Amino acid sequence: MEQILKYIMPNGMVILAEPMNNVQSASFSMMIPCGTAVLPDGCCGAAAVISDWIFRGAGELDSRSLTDELDGLGLHRDSAIGAGHIVLSAACESGNIYRALELYADIILRPALKTEQFEFSRQLALHDLHALDDDPRQKVAIETRKHFYPDPMGRSAAGIKRDLENLTAQKVFDIVKDNFNTCGIILSVAGKCDFEKLCRHAEKLFNSPPAAQKQISIGTRKPEYVHIPHDGAQVHIGMMTPAVILGHRDYYNTMAAVSILGGSMSARLFTEVREKRGLCYAVGAGYHSLKEMAGITVYAGTTPEKAQQTFDVTIEQFQKITDGLNDDEVHRAKIGLKSSLIMQSESTIARASGIGSDYYRLGTVRPLGEIRQAVENISTAGVLDFLKRNPFTDFTVVTIGPKEINRF
Amino acid sequence: MRFLHKKLNNGLNIVGEENPDAMSASVGFFVKTGARDENPEINGVSHFLEHMLFKGTHEISALQVNEAFDNTGAKFNAFTSEENTVYYAAVLPEYLNNIVELWCKLLRPALRDEDFQIEKNVIKQEIAMYRDLPEFDVADKCRNLHFGSHPCGQSVLGSEQTIDTMTAEQMKNYFISRYSPDNMTLACAGNFDFNRLCKQVESLTKSWTPSAVSRQTSFFNGTGLSQRYGRDNLNREHICLMSAAPAYQDDLRYAAAMLAIITGDDVGSRLFWELVDTALAESASMHYDMMDGTGIFYSYIRTAPENRTVVMEKIKKVFDGLMTAGVSEKELTAAKNKRLSTITIKNETPMGRLVDLGFDWTYLQSYQPVDMEIQQIKAVTPADIQQVISKYNIAGFTEVSIGPKQ
Repeated sequence: MEQILKYIMPNGMVILAEPMNNVQSASFSMMIPCGTAVLPDGCCGAAAVISDWIFRGAGELDSRSLTDELDGLGLHRDSAIGAGHIVLSAACESGNIYRALELYADIILRPALKTEQFEFSRQLALHDLHALDDDPRQKVAIETRKHFYPDPMGRSAAGIKRDLENLTAQKVFDIVKDNFNTCGIILSVAGKCDFEKLCRHAEKLFNSPPAAQKQISIGTRKPEYVHIPHDGAQVHIGMMTPAVILGHRDYYNTMAAVSILGGSMSARLFTEVREKRGLCYAVGAGYHSLKEMAGITVYAGTTPEKAQQTFDVTIEQFQKITDGLNDDEVHRAKIGLKSSLIMQSESTIARASGIGSDYYRLGTVRPLGEIRQAVENISTAGVLDFLKRNPFTDFTVVTIGPKEINRF
Repeated sequence: MRFLHKKLNNGLNIVGEENPDAMSASVGFFVKTGARDENPEINGVSHFLEHMLFKGTHEISALQVNEAFDNTGAKFNAFTSEENTVYYAAVLPEYLNNIVELWCKLLRPALRDEDFQIEKNVIKQEIAMYRDLPEFDVADKCRNLHFGSHPCGQSVLGSEQTIDTMTAEQMKNYFISRYSPDNMTLACAGNFDFNRLCKQVESLTKSWTPSAVSRQTSFFNGTGLSQRYGRDNLNREHICLMSAAPAYQDDLRYAAAMLAIITGDDVGSRLFWELVDTALAESASMHYDMMDGTGIFYSYIRTAPENRTVVMEKIKKVFDGLMTAGVSEKELTAAKNKRLSTITIKNETPMGRLVDLGFDWTYLQSYQPVDMEIQQIKAVTPADIQQVISKYNIAGFTEVSIGPKQ
């Protein structure tokens, strides 16, 4: 049985850990409350600039020495930008985690943020934004979230060209100063670790005083259809429809419904769109959630002449699912959810990010046993009842490609 | 962990690494066939055949196949490369038997005409999808140019034309010669019982007959040619560079892997400092692909079209610097640390372990324990890397770029 350990530092920073047997690695994830939704208006893309700029020297180390030190520890680094947070994560041989945290404390609390390095970070962010135009599949997912979530929750991490062009070193420096507060940071660790030692170490490193956290004011959403012309080989279709968030009583029913619709090869979308009709290669549904709201996502990529039918068949499947479910598909959804859960629990990287994310959304971490039980409790009648109470009628649709579709 | 091996009478090799502490098990059939084994007329058949396996057998329909997989909660898939077709699944231990039985059945597919025709559409959709991914497209074109007349230059997907004209009969003939038990390896890692697995597989594959199929392997230096394609719908310059590298069977492979990290790891490499740190390119990386009898280093760089000339000058500077001065002890140590930590993390899951287990047997007919791999990496010296650099002329690359029309 796994154990989740928690310690809240006097300044409010949260430390979570899940010690794991039979592994030699430790992974950590640091959620810093500086995501896209908390950025001031006119600064969309600043989080992307920040996540590069803070690594260009910190504490006593210049950019090159810092990278050399991080690489010397064999760290597998990653950074991700969400609506609420910039998430810096790393995995390493467990003995190296203490030195790694020292370096991350410098990166978060004492980044050099040299003006001469700022322009490189801003240029890279602009390049990445332009590069999205060459990757319509990724772009359609970003655009769908942007149009689905009310502002500022759907803001793209890649940013907006005009905002990126107008960013100054001072403006971004101020954003870092205002938002890199230890009281809002969640540090989560999974793998081989000594929790007591970890907490004492973190306490020394992150002992800055607390500061007030930003509140986000959320607008309203409206379903819409947006087409972005692109002279490519395919029409990329992105769709989202509202869903419940983690912690809601229908959360696990939603997971089952997503799985039945499009989570696997026996799912309805794959079967009806690809297997029976050969309309496309890639089609599937997933679940995307923020702390405040969530949606079911769909992606399908198809050639222009098959785009309309692909869309129509997809919508039809969302409507038909409320007509009835069979026990076999609910059973398969449950086994799929249970397997994913157990396999994730073998990976230190997946667990470190999982417990941090749970804590942020729920204020607690769901033990794996509890999730497993909740999955076991899913029933055909329960999922169907949920679907009848919440039919899918409200879709945000974005297409990128040479041809539009008829939305209604 | 305990390694076990058994060769069945029909020639099928079964390799396993038991780990009773694991929470899952991973299993995979590694078929030694891919684009390089195809006659050009049926280019794309290996990949198309991989799709057709999921269409079922004479007893199991395509829909039943998908349901059977999902009944086990398996994380399963397949992939086809220039020289391998791999079918794999990660599963909870209690479902391993079901998954093994299913794969064994599917490896003797019905290849029905009607499924063949429907799946042609899906393959053509996949070809269209990859055409919209310039990062993939440029690598495919570069491989083709680099290998010239050598079979490793053939496209995995094939073309719309080869897919259109291919017949089910041609696929069946290809299947009979390449999917013989003596041309594949079954690998399993994680929480499972090897003897039980062998008994099950022996019984399920007793009707399979060997074909004594072989593959022509020859080392290839590369053409060193260059080509650019202009496209109306692109706004970045996508550059791919390829040069020769040690084969999977070559002892220099560990040094070659270190060289790729030093030259082109995502962060902290020579290409990173020259191109990404200075914001000349948003992406610059080098990878090492060890193949059967040959190998390649390939680099991918994405930049603004106006930066192309200066980017190519900087790349030349990096490669010339390696040719003349080699690598330092310090950067080699950093590369080793990165690689060792990758190995530690990857091997903590049965799925991570499966891939090395299967490929090591496919290419080397031997078992390479994790500890041995670690020792081999630790033993690499700057002189070994110098040997790779001079023997394989990394600066003499083939180059393909795709970008906006000029």
